[in-house]
Amino acid sequence: MGTSDVLQQVSSLVKDSAVEENTSLDYWYGNDGKMKVFPRSEDDIRALLQRANDNRHTVAIAGNGSKRGFGGKEAAADILLSLSSYKGIIEHTVGDMTIIVKAGTLLRELQDYLREYRQQIPLDPAHPESATIGGVIAANDSGPKRLGYGSARDHVIGLKVAYANGDLIRTGGKVVKNVAGYDMNKLFVGSMGTLGVITEAALKLRPLPKYESVLFVPFEEANQHAIREFAVEILDSMVEPVSLELFNPRLSEKLLGHRRYTLAIALEDVETSVHYQEEKIGEMAERVSSLTVFSEDDAKQFWKRFYSAFPNSGAVPKEHATDAVVKVGVKNLDVLSVLNECAMLEDAHNVSICAHGGLGHGLCQIHVAGAQEDVLAAISSIRKTAVHLQGYAVVKHLPLALRQMIDIWGEKPSYFFLLEGIKKKMDPFSTLNPKRFIGGL
Amino acid sequence: MFRRKKALKTEDTHIKQLADIVGPKEVLFHKEDLISYESDGFTIHSHMPKAVVFPKNTEEVAAVVKYCADHDLPFLARGAGTGLSGGAIPLNGEVIISLVKMKRLLHVDLENRQAVVEPGYVNLKLTHSISDKGYYYAPDPSSQYCCTIGGNVAENAGGAHCLKYGVTTNHILGLEVVTPAGDIIEIGREGIADVPGYDLLGLITGSEGTLGIVTKITVRILKNPEEKQTVLAYFDRVEDGSRAVSDIVSRGIVPAALEMMDKIAIEGVEAAAFPVGHPKDIEALLLIEVDGISAGIEEQIDDILDVCKKRNVRSVKVAQDEKERAKWWANRKTGFGAMGAISPDYLVQDGVIPRSTLPQVLQKINEVSQETGLRIANIFHAGDGNLHPLILFDARVPGETEKALEAGSKCLQACADAGGSITGEHGVGIEKREEMRFVFTDQEIQAQTDVREVFNPHYLLNAGKLFPSSGRCAEIKAEQKKAASE
Repeated sequence: MGTSDVLQQVSSLVKDSAVEENTSLDYWYGNDGKMKVFPRSEDDIRALLQRANDNRHTVAIAGNGSKRGFGGKEAAADILLSLSSYKGIIEHTVGDMTIIVKAGTLLRELQDYLREYRQQIPLDPAHPESATIGGVIAANDSGPKRLGYGSARDHVIGLKVAYANGDLIRTGGKVVKNVAGYDMNKLFVGSMGTLGVITEAALKLRPLPKYESVLFVPFEEANQHAIREFAVEILDSMVEPVSLELFNPRLSEKLLGHRRYTLAIALEDVETSVHYQEEKIGEMAERVSSLTVFSEDDAKQFWKRFYSAFPNSGAVPKEHATDAVVKVGVKNLDVLSVLNECAMLEDAHNVSICAHGGLGHGLCQIHVAGAQEDVLAAISSIRKTAVHLQGYAVVKHLPLALRQMIDIWGEKPSYFFLLEGIKKKMDPFSTLNPKRFIGGL
Repeated sequence: MFRRKKALKTEDTHIKQLADIVGPKEVLFHKEDLISYESDGFTIHSHMPKAVVFPKNTEEVAAVVKYCADHDLPFLARGAGTGLSGGAIPLNGEVIISLVKMKRLLHVDLENRQAVVEPGYVNLKLTHSISDKGYYYAPDPSSQYCCTIGGNVAENAGGAHCLKYGVTTNHILGLEVVTPAGDIIEIGREGIADVPGYDLLGLITGSEGTLGIVTKITVRILKNPEEKQTVLAYFDRVEDGSRAVSDIVSRGIVPAALEMMDKIAIEGVEAAAFPVGHPKDIEALLLIEVDGISAGIEEQIDDILDVCKKRNVRSVKVAQDEKERAKWWANRKTGFGAMGAISPDYLVQDGVIPRSTLPQVLQKINEVSQETGLRIANIFHAGDGNLHPLILFDARVPGETEKALEAGSKCLQACADAGGSITGEHGVGIEKREEMRFVFTDQEIQAQTDVREVFNPHYLLNAGKLFPSSGRCAEIKAEQKKAASE
């Protein structure tokens, strides 16, 4: 069956969706579809999936398309199911501090809406203006404030998921504490859309902090020891930082104008508490370095710049340079070793690297830019370092042609047979996001 | 020597083989030894196990599991047996794998904020062993002085302080698991976050021992807050107390704990071992704890006192010292058991509701009490809407146990109708299998049993729990009634 036949079929099937033939496939990032469907109703999602599954058509799932550089080896599936028109708030009970939203809602829009109620979704992944809540959940994306608030797996209390065969399944519920049945939410968080299409999400909210600041403590280049000592002192003290994120010199230069390793310590609480902690951290910093404080709007502005510092597939790539973003997970304090290694890689592979990592949660985000082969060599070295530290490295942003040349996810875990078993049960024909996830799931 | 001889005196090949794996002293199979393993904290139901084995390490657990799998013997894991929904009851005459002898604290890494324990390690012991260094383990089920962390993982246990810090699943960083086929797998290497792949850590936590047997656990540990303050508030109307709960949270305060007890519950705790001297004529009390940076606490306490006053509190006080605070908490944490002081039997329920529906649901529970003629006390984690209706009854009175079960089910229906859930921390077990239908469709239940099949294809591990099964459920209900009337 040709694309136009499929197009006709799908068009007659759906009621409230825009359907278009894709005349310019995105070969740069891939994860596109030969035809695109933008459903506005649950019924359409269900009908579309059912038909696609019956006919063994593959379906790529997207929100707003900001993660098209993340995983996947194909330029296009038969159908691209974009949830970018499936958006809006379904239920927000202010006093319960929970919200149910459609998956295509942009994170920034949600946060803006919630600000009116002095509430927030306590997730701070990069690019909130172009990432949908569904995408953030499916990719389990998080940012520096994960230290204080946790990640998507901690805040998702319920999901509505369309299975590959079109069945709509609710997982969890809309209450903040719930152990009825298996915690199926967890299966979908971070599953890269390979088990089902998340159509709705119920999330726990937090109050907006009454006051916030971010403290910057710069360190001389080669002094890993001093950073470690200082970080441990903070972790051991009474202060409760929401982030304890270390920037490498190049990222510091980009964001703060000085080429030093810099610790970004976010504080969020009532004003007296924030100032009290600033004072305590100031005393600790005095012995090793200096301290700069950004408060309230300045802090917010800083974070805004921070969240757009790294590239994603929403932006048009620069010529002659290849951008990659790698996520590394290690033990908390091993973040120091990873960032240290990045400095060496810059020289060894002739690439430029901006990197940051959380000393309280162990996750690093590393932006590598340079010529293709240099970027690939650097990725391979980063993975070696991560694995040496018992951790992992995942490439979360890279052009398609390069993704086809390397392993995005790293080695399969020993229990891969269980992951495979789950996939086969839930999506037996590999209809959804084929081969987008680890081990070709 | 005598015990050894006794242990081997059996014609049962399976028991001999199991004794070969774990050692003859580590197997119980005589009827009199098995009686205490017939049920767990859900005492309404019981069934005899085939045997109880006490492995000392992961390899022994794997060997026992492998043996059972190879010989088609049903089996299940058990910790301290404090579970309240019957998850460790050997419905099918299982071989019980007791993990109480695997109770070591293996490793503490303060810098990376994690500890590794064996499943039989008691929850509170972890906090005790790291508190001198200023750290603690957050999940605090009321049974924490005796329940095991392995059991907490199986049930995804909660506790009073989960409002701010989350339940067990938010604190599990890694698991070593023996699969139902006897393979040993390690999930979440070194406690590192977001290891690529579907989140089996999150799936197995709370799976009530039906997907695998956890043999090693890496948990997150937290630093003690700089300061804690605890407030006790007495209300003349339940409604005022419940509104105060919502108001506190709406003011942007995230209390560490926000607990409520109603009049009958107060009557119980005051008659039991840890009375505080609560007035007998109040309708509700709130126990509110805030913790964090000392400089910010005063402000939050002022806010809370203000809310209480606006909601017509009769009196409200702040704990003056750790001793007073501990006294209030002992009174609360022993609340379930305290019902024994005012009723021969009681059934604990565990519904969850959206916080804002608290007044309506309490009213509904009150109606259930009137309909059935059974007194219902309410102790609950009001902050996260987790209700524990305690249905007071006398099992010696014919028919009253059934009535209590029915009242419990009706309370859960009320929670489900309010948009809530049938269990917040105790688990489904065998107790609430049927009530799963209040919150999930057949298709949604099937989606879950599909996942179970991946892990537990021969269904030898802890079968008959968690899910209603059309053919079986009627049979079990009848069985339950029979057991109850005996």
